[in-house]
Amino acid sequence: MPLRDLPLVRASVRDTADLAEAAAALFAAQVPAFAVLDHDERVVGIFSEADLLRAVFPGYLAEVRHTAFLPDDAPALAERARSASGRPVREFARPVEPLDAGESQTHAAERFLHTGEQALPVVEQGRFLGMLSIAALCYARLERAGER
Amino acid sequence: MDLLAAAIFLAALALIALEWVHRTKVALAGAALMVLLGVIDQEQAIEAVDWATLGLLAGMMVIVGLTEPTGVFTYLALRAAQLSRGNPVALVFLLAGVTGLLSAFLDNLTAILLVVPVTLLLADLLRISPVPLVLTEVLASNIGGTATLIGDPPNIMIGTHRKELSFLDFIVNLAPVALVSLLVTTALLALVFRRSFRVAPGRAAEIAALEPGRDLRGARHLKRTLAVLAGTILAFFGHTLLHVEPAVVALTGATVMLLVAADDVERALERVEWSTLFFFVGLFVMVGGLEERGVIEAIASRLADLTDGSATAEGMVVLWGAAAGSALVDNIPFTAAMIPVVDSLQGGTFDDGLWWALALGACFGGNATMIAAAANVAATGILDRTGHPVSFVRFLAVGAPVTLVSLLIATVYLLLFQL
Repeated sequence: MPLRDLPLVRASVRDTADLAEAAAALFAAQVPAFAVLDHDERVVGIFSEADLLRAVFPGYLAEVRHTAFLPDDAPALAERARSASGRPVREFARPVEPLDAGESQTHAAERFLHTGEQALPVVEQGRFLGMLSIAALCYARLERAGER
Repeated sequence: MDLLAAAIFLAALALIALEWVHRTKVALAGAALMVLLGVIDQEQAIEAVDWATLGLLAGMMVIVGLTEPTGVFTYLALRAAQLSRGNPVALVFLLAGVTGLLSAFLDNLTAILLVVPVTLLLADLLRISPVPLVLTEVLASNIGGTATLIGDPPNIMIGTHRKELSFLDFIVNLAPVALVSLLVTTALLALVFRRSFRVAPGRAAEIAALEPGRDLRGARHLKRTLAVLAGTILAFFGHTLLHVEPAVVALTGATVMLLVAADDVERALERVEWSTLFFFVGLFVMVGGLEERGVIEAIASRLADLTDGSATAEGMVVLWGAAAGSALVDNIPFTAAMIPVVDSLQGGTFDDGLWWALALGACFGGNATMIAAAANVAATGILDRTGHPVSFVRFLAVGAPVTLVSLLIATVYLLLFQL
């Protein structure tokens, strides 16, 4: 079964949307990452829960490994969230190589393992079809095994 | 063929300085060109690689890589910050001191990678810019690394090349001048940055309230890793008594660390920075090519003519020349090229003064520009990633005066005690 036949979630956000809108959409969606689309509906990046985390929490967190001693600095966190919320989501998005709708599930599984992404955009002839999550991919396989 | 060797090496140095291409790619491409164009034959190229330097670097990378997850280095930096009790000048000196100490006994690049992230966190808590603190730490790392054989790549290359120079020799001859330089330059920076270090009332209490030991409580293999690290450092001190090379000490420490503290060997070995090791391989082959073609001999002979055979003049030329070269290019390739030059200058004799001049020039020169030492590149990279970019000119405005002051201290020291 090619990827186009799997349960894809049409989860995307325009690159001009602000972070607060993207965060709300991500919270409401059933996938851990969104495709970021330009005005021609082409995939220009991916915005995941990890990107949201990096946007909302201090930048040094990605550099330090030990923080058990660190309490929440409520004013600083509030200020960071306030300043980040109005910035366009494209500032936090990362480049991504979309999956093609005709590719195999095994290839998709390999891409998930090696990119570390939890969900990847699926495109057909450059057009965005939807996001495929690891859960959707694996659930589809297990469901088919159960039917047999 | 000698012109071709010089042209390839100079082109490689230029590309490394300009940072257009990753330095490892440049070094390997230069080495490959020298071998393929017949500047150096393949057997000589393999012989030119200083495996002891690579062993020492790889061993220390494994040891530090397995110790870092315990959180002990973060603990050290936080405790130093707490000891300052919110006094900004004390904070600068304590962080510079911890960085200098870690640089001396791990290496300067590792020290920066360990201390800078914690400094960003501390600056955030104190509501001050992290840039002055991080710049102070970078400069302290290059000066602190000067103190030992393992503290800075130029010293590693010199120490593994000249077997007569032991770990203890480096400490006895370089640690005092490094300590004086560290104190003087940190005081200078505390003065220059005094306005940036003003901490709002009450912010110091945030630091005092932290519990640095919390991360250590759950750390796996804490006692074992610390024991191996301490044992390795002690073995460095006594390596001449034990009749083992520093590289053997580092690799033995790494092996013991892997045996007692690595749950997954594959993951533990991911800590080895292969790009750095291959960078050294490329450099060694290129410098081997320069030696084979007589370029090094020609430079040494010209230097000897200029200095008229005076050991004092040679020492000064090596010190200031190494500093200038390191500042413009990168102290690693420059030292790699200077080592055979100093060998040639000495002929068949051995005078440790010239080697200390080279070590001081290359290590202190590493502070002048953003590209002069790997620690500078790493620290400014972290600052950039976390939203605090530092321009080349801003780094130069801080690094160049500090380099000048530390070189003047080194000049006085060498003239009084070594040359």
